[in-house]
Amino acid sequence: MSGGDLWSRIAAVAGALALVSCDLPGRPGPEPEVLRPEQVLDFATLYSQNCAGCHGEEGRGGAAVSLADPVYLAYADDAAVRRVTANGVAHTLMPAFARSAGGMLTDKQIDVLVRGIRAWAGGSAPGGLKPPAYTAAGPGDAARGAAAYQTFCARCHGPDGKGGSGGHSIVDGSFLALISDQGLRTAVVTGVPGLDAPDWRNDVPGRPMTEEEVTDVVAWLASQRTQFPGRPYPSLQPKNQGGTQ
Amino acid sequence: MRLLKALGAWLDFRLRLGEGIREAATHPIPKSSASWWYVFGSAALTVFGIQVVTGILLAIVYVPSAAQAWSSLQVLNHDLTLGWFLRAMHGWASNFMVALVLIHMIQVFLFGAYKFPRELTWIVGVFLLLMTLGMAFTGQVLRFDQDAYWGLGIGASITGRVPVIGGALVHLLLGGPIIGGDTLSRFFALHVFIIPGLLIGFVGLHLLMVLKLGINEWPMPGRIVRRETYLKEYEQLTHEGVPFVPDAIWKDLVFGAAIVAAIGVCAAVFGPFGPKGQPDPTIIQASPRPDFFFLWLFSLLSLLPPQMETPVLLLMPPVAILILLLVPVLSGEGEKHWKKRPVAVLTVLVVAVALGSFTHLASTTPWSPEMDAWSGAPVPISELKGRSALERRGALVFQAKQCRNCHRLGREGGMRGPALDEVALRLTSDQLIRQVLQGGGNMPAYGKNLSPAETTALVAYLETLKPAGRAPAHDASQP
Amino acid sequence: MSETLKPTRRTMLTRLGILLNAGIGAVLAVPVVSYLLAPLRGKNGAPYNQWVKLGPLEQFPEGETRLATFRNPVVRPWDGQTADIPCWVRRIDAEKFQVFAINCAHLGCPVRWFAASGLFMCPCHGGVYYADGSRASGPPERGLFEYEHKVEDGELVILAGQLPTLAAQDRTGRRKTCDC
Repeated sequence: MSGGDLWSRIAAVAGALALVSCDLPGRPGPEPEVLRPEQVLDFATLYSQNCAGCHGEEGRGGAAVSLADPVYLAYADDAAVRRVTANGVAHTLMPAFARSAGGMLTDKQIDVLVRGIRAWAGGSAPGGLKPPAYTAAGPGDAARGAAAYQTFCARCHGPDGKGGSGGHSIVDGSFLALISDQGLRTAVVTGVPGLDAPDWRNDVPGRPMTEEEVTDVVAWLASQRTQFPGRPYPSLQPKNQGGTQ
Repeated sequence: MRLLKALGAWLDFRLRLGEGIREAATHPIPKSSASWWYVFGSAALTVFGIQVVTGILLAIVYVPSAAQAWSSLQVLNHDLTLGWFLRAMHGWASNFMVALVLIHMIQVFLFGAYKFPRELTWIVGVFLLLMTLGMAFTGQVLRFDQDAYWGLGIGASITGRVPVIGGALVHLLLGGPIIGGDTLSRFFALHVFIIPGLLIGFVGLHLLMVLKLGINEWPMPGRIVRRETYLKEYEQLTHEGVPFVPDAIWKDLVFGAAIVAAIGVCAAVFGPFGPKGQPDPTIIQASPRPDFFFLWLFSLLSLLPPQMETPVLLLMPPVAILILLLVPVLSGEGEKHWKKRPVAVLTVLVVAVALGSFTHLASTTPWSPEMDAWSGAPVPISELKGRSALERRGALVFQAKQCRNCHRLGREGGMRGPALDEVALRLTSDQLIRQVLQGGGNMPAYGKNLSPAETTALVAYLETLKPAGRAPAHDASQP
Repeated sequence: MSETLKPTRRTMLTRLGILLNAGIGAVLAVPVVSYLLAPLRGKNGAPYNQWVKLGPLEQFPEGETRLATFRNPVVRPWDGQTADIPCWVRRIDAEKFQVFAINCAHLGCPVRWFAASGLFMCPCHGGVYYADGSRASGPPERGLFEYEHKVEDGELVILAGQLPTLAAQDRTGRRKTCDC
């Protein structure tokens, strides 16, 4: 047997071994089994670990804002999504996720989340109608809001907001204590997909709400907040403490 | 062939080992002992051989330094040809070895093999069991990942409970003030030199005694062991017996080969164990879990009442070991057959069922909060359907306040507390408010961390959690 | 035996030889034992616990609990990441702090702070603590371990250096009860 022959045989055996070792199911993948938490940059993983609990799988069907709703995505800009994700919303149930604000995610991971949420949009809002601005231009007028409420909302939520044929109460003190004015604005503009609450265009079919009407309705809703929400026995006034934190 | 024989003769003339080996190999054993029930010990020894070989091969690459151990394991797993397979062999063989040692021990116990004159063989065997478990634990430490790091923390915390000298013992265990380089170095020495050295010595002693005293005969109900007569009876049995080689050894060989093949298949199919995340204590998103054979202990530590924990932790191991050591002293004579030893059989069953249940519990860890459930487990869509604005806020309170970490909803969430899918059937709204605010029954009081609005929303939501069409819980004192 | 081992000169010398070896062995055992017990005595006479800086006070907003990490004061060059120790800093108001060890008082697993519910939870055996470190539920017998701390030049400084266990904290660790 010549030397070259021997070497080619050895190479063949080694190759076969390598091939076998490639195909074995127990062979670990190229990455470490567990990444450092800050190295997780996969949107699906980050979303399902940090957001899905409240916003629902794939951004739908949760108790909080439906992030995948095209109307919401047309209405909220990246800066707003990023700000809320990073810093949370004070006095509401949305916590801060950025490390700088006491959360567990790096800025890079928050970028991944913002980009991933944005990618759900696909195109612009259906119908092409531009939604009202994310941030209200100025304070609304509660009195005008009451009138706008009667036009757009009373049909379902009742004349006083305490619930009606198609909608639940939206003036409950505890409810209003747990939602920010911005949250109310988002609800008015985007509706609540899970509850068939229509967005700003379809409260009255064919008559979208104007920017001012949205702001005013929110102002009227905010004016319905109570000083001591959630007291089980409202007749017993607390002496020296505020209602919400 | 002739040349080989000549070489053998030349060597044997100088070494003078042949006769001893031949004698040991062909020593007569009772006919009934050439049984498939007598193969576990030799199989454990075979697996120990695998461990020595794979262990040495891994030590060629492994770096026993706290800063680099994890990276060297990554190199083994990913960069070296079939390094992962050797790691997998070593890991799986360790599981097989613990299992075989335990099975061997149960077999020996149920067959009464520890009785006169083999008491010391059993006692040495108990030490072999402890060393095997010691190897399993120190091996888990050498796989220097998060589980290893926090496992050491658990070890140190248990040690720290020793009265008076606890602090000193912690420092000796860790080799310094913290879990670090010194700790890994000493566990490396334990795993690679100290315990294996002792293990080899004790295995030799164990085997020597098996050879000198003879393998246990197959027990027969009614054949009583008595110090005065046993040796004569055993001699009679071996007189009518068969030589170990080849009548019995072929079963050992076949079983041993099957075990080795099984380890190889497990290694190839399931791959190596870990390493999991880096051993960096600042990564606090860790949920440390011990390896399989220590899961029962993990359960026990969670389920013991707090005030019993220190005494049990510190007294249970020495008492258990003492009991094992005293077994042959306390029942060195008498019946060997399991049919005539109900207490022995019951003991094995109770211990096995207890350890099995604890291990099974540890696979679901119903006592641990699920740390990511609040943000990662969606509220089931069916549990949001038709809920009012306030109730939907309540569902958010439920998630945001981490209730989900301990309470399941729709089969997702922690199991520390009861599942709440039907809580409205059990508790009225007043009871819910009380439970949420004051806690109790192993639930923290949320009074300080829930505003009245949050409590109202939460309770409003919880009151909707019941199957449709069934009446909610009702306060019997109210009309 | 006694017949063959009559106290002859040779047996005497053998015994003397054994004694000699035992004596030398005993003397040599001293360095071995003190080498093995070295971890009990700090490093080069320095105590394990030293004052360590956690960072400027601005890092810790009032009313919040934040994770901080520090390099252990006593390290080996090959300690790597293991000498980076985390802890939880609770700033109650401008001057009042609490610094909790990361290690659960039960068996040392890393507790995690949940700001929304104001609880520390342990992933191992389900120990839970309130914001002030007192035990809320689960197997721990006491509240979280606390580091001694002070403020120096606008920085938070803690007395740290050892893995907190029930033994290490016996002197300083107060047994806490729920004050709810």
